[in-house]
Amino acid sequence: MNTSKYLLGILALAAFAACDLEKEVEIDLPLYDNRPIVECYLEPGKPFRLLLTRSYGYFDDLGLDSTYFDNTLLSGATVTIAYNGQVDTLLGQLSFDLPPLPIRLYNYTGKNTVPVTPGVEYTLGITMPDGATISGKTVMLPFVPIDSILVQWNEGLDTMARVLTYITDDQTQTNFYRRMINYSTLDSVPRQNFLVTDRIATSPIFAFGTGYQLMEGDTVINTMFHITKDYYDFYESILRAVAGNRNPFAQPSPIIGNVTGSANPLGIFTCLVYDRDTTIIMR
Amino acid sequence: MKKSTLFPFFLLLVLGLSAQTATISGRLTDAKTGENLIGATVEAVGLQKGNVSNEYGFYSFTLPSGSDSVVLRFNYLGYQSAFRTILPAPGNTALNVALLPEDAVLEEVVIRANVLEDKVKSTEMSVATLTMREAKALPALFGEVDIIKIIQLKPGVTGGTEGSTGIFVRGGGRDQNLIVLDEAIVYNPDHLFGFFSTFNSDAVKDVKLFKGGFPSQYGGRLSSVIDVRMKEGNNQEYDVTGGIGLISSRLTIEGPIQRDKSSFLISGRRTYADLITRAINKANEKTPDYNPIPDYYFYDLNTKVNFTLGEHDRLYLSGYFGRDVFTFQNESFNFLFDWGNATGTARWNHVFGPKLFSNTTFTFSDYQYRIRNVLEGFSFNLGSNIRDANVKVDFYYQPNNEHTVRFGGNATYHQFTVARLQFGSDDGRVNFQSGQDFTGMEYGLYVADEWAATHRLKFNFGARMSAWKNGPAFYANVEPRASANYSLAENWSVKASYARMNQYVHLLASSGLSLPTDIWYPSTEGVKPETSDQIAVGTSYLFDKKWLITWESWYKWLQNQVDFIDGAELFGNNELERELTIGRGYAFSPLELEIEKREGRLTGWIGYTLAWVRRGEFPVINRGEYYAPPFDPRHNLNIVAMYDLNRRWQLTATLSYKSGNAAWLPVGRLSFQDVAGSRLRPVLPIYGDRNTFRYPAYMRLDLGIVYRWKTRRSEQDLTLSIYNALDRRNTFFIYLDPEFEQTNVGGQIIETPVRIAAKQVSLFPILPSITWNFKF
Repeated sequence: MNTSKYLLGILALAAFAACDLEKEVEIDLPLYDNRPIVECYLEPGKPFRLLLTRSYGYFDDLGLDSTYFDNTLLSGATVTIAYNGQVDTLLGQLSFDLPPLPIRLYNYTGKNTVPVTPGVEYTLGITMPDGATISGKTVMLPFVPIDSILVQWNEGLDTMARVLTYITDDQTQTNFYRRMINYSTLDSVPRQNFLVTDRIATSPIFAFGTGYQLMEGDTVINTMFHITKDYYDFYESILRAVAGNRNPFAQPSPIIGNVTGSANPLGIFTCLVYDRDTTIIMR
Repeated sequence: MKKSTLFPFFLLLVLGLSAQTATISGRLTDAKTGENLIGATVEAVGLQKGNVSNEYGFYSFTLPSGSDSVVLRFNYLGYQSAFRTILPAPGNTALNVALLPEDAVLEEVVIRANVLEDKVKSTEMSVATLTMREAKALPALFGEVDIIKIIQLKPGVTGGTEGSTGIFVRGGGRDQNLIVLDEAIVYNPDHLFGFFSTFNSDAVKDVKLFKGGFPSQYGGRLSSVIDVRMKEGNNQEYDVTGGIGLISSRLTIEGPIQRDKSSFLISGRRTYADLITRAINKANEKTPDYNPIPDYYFYDLNTKVNFTLGEHDRLYLSGYFGRDVFTFQNESFNFLFDWGNATGTARWNHVFGPKLFSNTTFTFSDYQYRIRNVLEGFSFNLGSNIRDANVKVDFYYQPNNEHTVRFGGNATYHQFTVARLQFGSDDGRVNFQSGQDFTGMEYGLYVADEWAATHRLKFNFGARMSAWKNGPAFYANVEPRASANYSLAENWSVKASYARMNQYVHLLASSGLSLPTDIWYPSTEGVKPETSDQIAVGTSYLFDKKWLITWESWYKWLQNQVDFIDGAELFGNNELERELTIGRGYAFSPLELEIEKREGRLTGWIGYTLAWVRRGEFPVINRGEYYAPPFDPRHNLNIVAMYDLNRRWQLTATLSYKSGNAAWLPVGRLSFQDVAGSRLRPVLPIYGDRNTFRYPAYMRLDLGIVYRWKTRRSEQDLTLSIYNALDRRNTFFIYLDPEFEQTNVGGQIIETPVRIAAKQVSLFPILPSITWNFKF
């Protein structure tokens, strides 16, 4: 909801003499113990990959030198993913998605690819070099396709169009979705990026729309992720942490992940099931 | 002895031997306007007998009958004392007295009421009163007189964030204040997200704040009662009062419907920033890519009529309606966000006799917000609402000078619509709905006796029985109340009080700041009533008949406190209770000090509070450990001064200092890669335990100059306010702000953090404003 954005706008209006109302200050934060951070998205058809990093105290030295990767990427861990009665070990080696794909980095990679089969349960096991452990569980959800994408032109402003995206929800169970929309390319900052659940839906049809802000020739990339509740809670907490830092009306949140263990980790272990569609706006 | 013979015996005993006493009773009013005077004193000179008028100006007291005449003195702050000589004949004497405001008489003949002396002698403690004259003279943000912000300057009270009307009394929460306007509850006393309160000072007559030692007639909130009384309307002549300020204008019209018998008052206030922004939008409507400025305004409307129906009956009808309206429209949006309160009160005063007075009240309260956005083919609506209908009867009975008994009861029907959300398409294919509806009944029965045991020792014992019913959930509680005053000397007393309170409705607020979207939620089987117990001890010393020094120490225990779990979802959630967590709290102050001067050229007060506030035992917050809520200033100092240079010029100043609020800031960071399509976040904040950080201390000096002048037909003033005269940058909030360097990698922009800093945001620099007030 955009309420808090409007509130901030009004505050800005109220502070009409808004010169010099923001300044840098020195503050002392409580001590923070570094924690391992896990990001593992199991994407059907792609290799098992995992990023294992560490968190820092907020004002810790950024360490932007040749030791940055050595310090930030946690190496030497034993990483396994078990599913369908088999166990894959992910090797501690770097792998990348590079342009034209959006740039991504992983420091543990498996040899096998993630099966497409829905319903398969996956179990993550990590043993850190000091013997501390991390574990997590997730399940491959069924694919939920984008039913249709509709381009509508504004009657008053016939040069501007909007895009409506429809999906059909399975109302026999509680589902969670992440909606993302990018203009032009997938590495652009998403124009919409939010979570939705069917807990309050009374009809199976879901519609997502843009404003009348698109012109002929624009490219729109729609992505609908079908996600687990764990991922929903995790990503919601990420959004709240970001908003809570900058918006005094927003309630912050600690990060609510689904990995646990004696290593005191934070992070997410989840499958990534999505439908993505690219639309070029045409009359 | 049989019951039938016992009853008349006790009746005789309780009523006193009326044949041997003289009972004097009546109403005290303003001679110029006919307004009832609340808390005015009547005293038989030399006999140490007297009393205080109640909320309707009614007083009653008893003297030994005799053949010697007795001089009665009637006092009220800001009014000329009045004297009446009576012969205390056996039986009842009706004596209505109208006091002249001191402005209406020459300064030299004013014999001022010694209200400070009365405060020393009263069993009331932890009470603050506010006069509208003070409120209008003190400097204010944008020149908007705000009684809530003046209450924030009293010891034991903490304001919210910079410029806001948040009230936190003795460690209580924002929702733990019972705010009543003519006895009707005002659920959200804020405009503009808490920067201004809903009370139009032109329509307000009297404000009383109870921080502890709560009288038995009040219930339903844990931490304070703010009792706001509207003016009745001048029943002598027509008056037009108003003002033009920087952001709003006010106009009040009052006068007699039938002179001495009935009067009316109608008062309105509206902001006008939207008129300017609309003009700007109009001027730019053809500018390409121009983003129109959203429309925002608020308004209030207060109305009141009252009728004297006879010697023993008066009828008052009053109402309030206020709204904030925020709209935004462009090619894609048609957005409306409005919120506000409506209250209505009908009161019937009846004097059964010189010793028994009753007040029967029906009140209606409504608070709602609505958010609507209409896109072509789709609509979104979100809203919450709380609505009350309350019937209440109060009796005021004075059998003799030693006892003043109050008793009564009330029943309130509550209706809640909680976060009602509807999103759908016009064709009905898409539909999302959520929200909950509740109803609840709240009951209260009370009795209290103010007992002057000896000349030096007074007690006020009482109890309130409260109950709540919401579906299968039923709660009943006894709330003992007691206070005592022992006079060590004429100008020195010690006091003590105890009060238990229960609260059956709870405000679910996602941040410490006031938002119109905060939700009122009823007690249910899962959410039990909140409870508080407060003890207070103190002493009052009147120095040189001018300076009242009050020291109180208090401790408050809080049970069943409601908070959100981490990551709670308020909207689009039919199971809101799952997002709540229940805990406890406590607060204490060894030193709550007030030095008050109400007479002379220099008036004002100094308030200082040293206090600790904690919440804890929430199973999922900070591992159940106790922590400081946001508004827990260790030191809170306020100095309020008003100095009359002469009849025309008045200088005013307020200085506020308080320790910094507790804040929940990130303690760590991580690099978050996320999935393709989203942006990389090289610095994502990690939050740990709540409120482990303290903002810097807050300090603000406000200055004001009032210039008053009179003509034959009018009284006018110009009030210059300088808000934050030291131009100090106080903390509104602090955020952590990484700076990034952008690198192009194969056509993609990668951000690398190069520096991390903390930024402090302040809201208001030095802000001068001027307001013209008039009365015709």
